[in-house]
Amino acid sequence: MDNFNTLEAVIDRPEMLADSRLPANFGQTGLLGYVLGTLGFFTFLRMLSAVPPGVMSFMMVLFFVLAANFLFAAIMHLFMELTGVKGSASRLFLAFGYSDFLLTLLVPAGFFAKLDYLNAFFGFCLCFAAVLYARVMLVRRLYPVSSNKAALSVGLPYAAFMGLAFFGFIYSIAWLVWLVI
Amino acid sequence: MEENTSSNPVPEQQPGPAPKLEAAPVPVPPAVCLNTRLWLKVVAALYALSLFAAAAVISKADAARKVKPGDMDLSKFTGLVQSKKDAVAVIPLYGVITQGSSSRSWEHGSQQIAKRIRAMSEKKEVKAILLDINTPGGSVGAVQEIYSAILRAKRETKKPFVARFGDVSASGGYYVASACDLIVAQPGTITGSIGVIFSVSNFEGLMKKVGMKNEAIKSGKFKDIGSPTRDMTPEERKILQGMIDDSYEQFVAAVADGRQMPLEEVKKLADGRIYTGRQALGNHLVDKLGDLRDALDAAGELGKIGKNPRVLTDADPFENLMSLMDSKLQLFGTKAVTDALELGPRLEYRWYGR
Repeated sequence: MDNFNTLEAVIDRPEMLADSRLPANFGQTGLLGYVLGTLGFFTFLRMLSAVPPGVMSFMMVLFFVLAANFLFAAIMHLFMELTGVKGSASRLFLAFGYSDFLLTLLVPAGFFAKLDYLNAFFGFCLCFAAVLYARVMLVRRLYPVSSNKAALSVGLPYAAFMGLAFFGFIYSIAWLVWLVI
Repeated sequence: MEENTSSNPVPEQQPGPAPKLEAAPVPVPPAVCLNTRLWLKVVAALYALSLFAAAAVISKADAARKVKPGDMDLSKFTGLVQSKKDAVAVIPLYGVITQGSSSRSWEHGSQQIAKRIRAMSEKKEVKAILLDINTPGGSVGAVQEIYSAILRAKRETKKPFVARFGDVSASGGYYVASACDLIVAQPGTITGSIGVIFSVSNFEGLMKKVGMKNEAIKSGKFKDIGSPTRDMTPEERKILQGMIDDSYEQFVAAVADGRQMPLEEVKKLADGRIYTGRQALGNHLVDKLGDLRDALDAAGELGKIGKNPRVLTDADPFENLMSLMDSKLQLFGTKAVTDALELGPRLEYRWYGR
């Protein structure tokens, strides 16, 4: 129940994230958030037959989520440092685990999608938007910045990687056309 | 601190982060709001419940997919969804047979073909292997590598091998096929050409014209045997003929062994001539005439899985892509360089009529 207490404390008193004294099991609960969030995400994908079954498959998704969040937290922290705002990168990474608890909502979303009550992509976008919003709020608590700057720092790595992926996609299409013609 | 003076500042009660954040954790005080804890418990219970429901949905979806595989053609995604139904593996053997580079897995060199033969024969669901041959042969070493891979696979797995001849399956192509249990050819297939060839160009005249001279410093008088810069001596010709004869004997022995024909009878047919599929059938060089479908049926029957068997190919999307890239990159001149380097003399089981 310690993790319950920690989660409850973070929800009720989010200002304690910036305190010098962290709540007990703060890191453990953050990592639990990653695991449970990824389990929700993986279950959602499995319901849509988008990923292969098995523990290895889940572990792949989990490691991907952890790696992506580690990278994103590092980029956000770097952005903050470069703009003269002080904070803790490790605390940011663990705090993102708390936002990933929201990904558990993907399980009922997938369930409703299978029943044709909800569009699966819409459900995913809704959960993703909720996670992003929670992250902006967490960044505001961890760094003394305005909402706009917090939103900018959260959106920056996503925008950069989406831009890169889009560029890669366009280039690969052009490359395939070159290969075939 | 200029961030705090922006249009949307952080609320007053939020303190800035302390410079030292690595302080010891403190025990969490009792919940200040029972409402939050209650909600968290409800959400956790619902999450657990929805996980169970999701597991039921997933198992049902998986079961439905197994019953009705026709709903969606998943055969292309062999890596993700592998059916364990009995099948005949088809391994293509196209073009001139060369050694190939082991580091370029997308190349269809003898090493890659031998590797595929081993991999396919070791698969439990593969009951027979069909070699789809369309080649004029190739270098002796490369042909024998594939031949021995077939013999080893047959010995270790006891699985039948069927050779199917397409347009041309001559010389080295026939050498490989002779290791198979059954050979199916088209009536018009060009086959035969049982023999060995060693050809060497002589650029001596050309080099004299352009004023180029080659000098070889050698440890023995035969060290530059087969050199394209001078005429061949009678002694060298004798040595090379001995090599050709020995390789020829190996070819004839392989055909006699594989086709279970007397050596003398094979030698009568093995003067290097080519045959049509129908002529080859008359000379017992092939077992039956037919197309790919007939060959697959025959392989299915030999593998005891009946006619019209499931076909398994080991087409790897990555290797196909790399092969496509390689062929495109050859447009930049790498192919010309490679071909130029391959001008050296080689001992070949190859028909040059193509």
